[in-house]
Amino acid sequence: MDGWVGKILRVDLTTGNCTEEDLDLGLAKKFVGGSGLGTKILYDEIDPNIDALSPENKLIFATGPLTGTGAICGSRYMVITKSPLTDCVTSSNSGGYFGPELKFAGYDMIIFEGKAPEPIYLTVFDHQVELRSAKHLWGKDVPEVEKCIRSEASSPWEAEGTKILSIGQAGENLVKMSCIMNDTTRALGRSGVGAVMGSKNLKAVAVRGRKGVRVYDSQGFKDEMHAFLKDMQEVESIGWKARFNFGTWVIIQAMVNMRMLPTRNFQAGIIEGVPTPPEMREQILVKERSCFSCPFAGGRGSRITDPEFEGEGEGPEHESYTMLGPNCGITDLAAVTKASYICNEKGMDTISTGSTIACTMELYERGYIPEKDVPFPIRFGDKYAMVKLVEMMATREGIGDLLAEGSYRLAEHYGQPDVSMTVKKHEMPALHPQGYQGLALSYSTSNRGACHTKCNMVFGKRFEVEGTAELVKKGQDYTALLDAAGACWSIYSATRYLDDHLVRALETCTGAGYTKEVAMRTGERIYNLQRLFNLRAGITGNDDTLPRRILETPLLDGDNEGKVVMLGKMLPEYYQLRGWDKSGVPTPGKLEELGLTEEGGLLWQK
Amino acid sequence: MAKIKIDHRKCTGCRLCEMACSLQHVENTFQPSRSRIRVFVHENLYFPVIAGPYTEAACNLQHVTMVDGQEFDACIFCRASCPVKPIFKEPDTGIPLKCDFCGEPPDPQCVSVCMNEALVLVEEEENKPQEKAG
Ligand code: SF4
Ligand code: SF4
Ligand code: SF4
Repeated sequence: MDGWVGKILRVDLTTGNCTEEDLDLGLAKKFVGGSGLGTKILYDEIDPNIDALSPENKLIFATGPLTGTGAICGSRYMVITKSPLTDCVTSSNSGGYFGPELKFAGYDMIIFEGKAPEPIYLTVFDHQVELRSAKHLWGKDVPEVEKCIRSEASSPWEAEGTKILSIGQAGENLVKMSCIMNDTTRALGRSGVGAVMGSKNLKAVAVRGRKGVRVYDSQGFKDEMHAFLKDMQEVESIGWKARFNFGTWVIIQAMVNMRMLPTRNFQAGIIEGVPTPPEMREQILVKERSCFSCPFAGGRGSRITDPEFEGEGEGPEHESYTMLGPNCGITDLAAVTKASYICNEKGMDTISTGSTIACTMELYERGYIPEKDVPFPIRFGDKYAMVKLVEMMATREGIGDLLAEGSYRLAEHYGQPDVSMTVKKHEMPALHPQGYQGLALSYSTSNRGACHTKCNMVFGKRFEVEGTAELVKKGQDYTALLDAAGACWSIYSATRYLDDHLVRALETCTGAGYTKEVAMRTGERIYNLQRLFNLRAGITGNDDTLPRRILETPLLDGDNEGKVVMLGKMLPEYYQLRGWDKSGVPTPGKLEELGLTEEGGLLWQK
Repeated sequence: MAKIKIDHRKCTGCRLCEMACSLQHVENTFQPSRSRIRVFVHENLYFPVIAGPYTEAACNLQHVTMVDGQEFDACIFCRASCPVKPIFKEPDTGIPLKCDFCGEPPDPQCVSVCMNEALVLVEEEENKPQEKAG
């Protein structure tokens, strides 16, 4: 077996039973791994209608065949589960070193099921698996959990070689936008996966391994690695140096230039006073950090010296800065960086957290939140209120308890669901959809709710509707493949130029017959399977929409002036291209073509 | 004579060097535990260490090394395959690992994938006395 290491670890938290299963190679070829294989297993093993926070839900950590190889940016792994925020199937993706280490420890995947009677954590050291009490870790935040677990190692190399994922207080408190953190500052970020882990009383997973990952065609694989590195140095659009110097801050600048930086709860696309990437570098950067096998080093080791918000950590990335900053009417880098550190420590998704705070600010300013409900005024631009609310959400203190349910439930509570900037209850990320028709279509149709990582970033003309549906479909299928393979979306979606590299890496790694056509078909299969899960969970075509403001109220800035999203035009074409009927349900013919007939059968069986 | 020059400040912890080294020495396999170069990662410190000679016993000496203003156990930066270290040994047999410069003439794979120039190959004109192995 090449690429895959061939073993799945299944942990029944209720009984404490840990069993090792062989990976079904046929299924692996069909769904690759990561979000693909993870979704297939979740689809087969749970009823999509269960409560996401009940013991019946499963939590699957899955690597792909490229994870832990020298494939450029082959660092990624995913968590697949039913989301408590959206009720959709979700697959959150993370880099760092955890995913590769899991494979070196001998497993492609860990499936957690049931619920532990009391807090525990799992250790996996070279196939040696043990559940240990986590009573002493409960209540602790992410950096401290890692430190505690590392302190048990017998040498510094072993301590640092142990790769850990864990939840902070937010996950314990079942905060609906809590994430799972690995390598201290990397996040399986969105859709409330941390709450699922918390609901199972699972605090952390620590892995260390000395095994290897075999590849099918060693020379071909090595050639592909070097071809990628060569292109990276020569092809401008891959943006190597800019990423190294400024990380994702270059995206902030691009959004400022295009006037599509979400501002004041998406009411505008620009705000004065956003620091430029060189300014950010000068003010906070300490060290460029890589994920495993990544030469781009876009991670930002950072430090705030402003005594008011002092601290040290990583980030903020583009998403964190924009959602906690401009979208809350704030540009102050120190305050936003501090808020993003708190999110990392407590284990909270910065996008949903920022958007929910922005939603609160709008509700408050418009008078929908009575004074008695708030401990202090919550207005756009108030950086102190923003930082304080982040903390209150993690611990569910006061109104934080309501915010911890996400902006949709919050806004609904105050009778104003339209103020929530969500699709399928999932907060929109930091690219304003009114600046790109294709982006808007991808948000509205994404299987996990609004998301920037589930479709390619290249959308052709910004305001052109013609041909957009096709680009989005292709982008989504390609991204589904990326997430299954274990490669990094951020790099491989930057330019279409990289599709060929991905497919070559996948094929030389596995020898499983992935031509470009097979690979793209595989992505489409995965995308459709996620759709089937959601349909069975009661999420329908009616949910493929956008907040009313985005559809009806034009932005006032720059090129975006007067533009609203033409969803009514794009959606029918998109469904048709996908081979779905008018209500967004895959047709039996399409499912047969994709080899999903059996899976589709469950939809009509209800 | 060629030498590998390590500048740890330029290292970003991508570990591609470990990947390339293991693929070079282990058939068809990526396996950092069998790599002759390992990168120590701690917060903002990334420190590549290349495997040197085998030593039968640990030193008696205890000391700490200051790197970028932080104190570390000096053994972290030592290149010996030594009983106190879990690295630079074949995981199954315990046989010590040592950098072989990827053959003759040297073709260091680790250097070939290090994009950030933390590892560079430098040529030195005059032959300096070589360190004794073992
Ligand atoms: S390849 Fe270079 S930058 Fe990457 S870990 Fe090795 S020495 Fe550091
Ligand atoms: S690792 Fe190096 S410094 Fe430490 S005891 Fe062994 S030989 Fe001595
Ligand atoms: S020169 Fe070759 S053997 Fe030595 S560390 Fe580099 S890749 Fe490994």
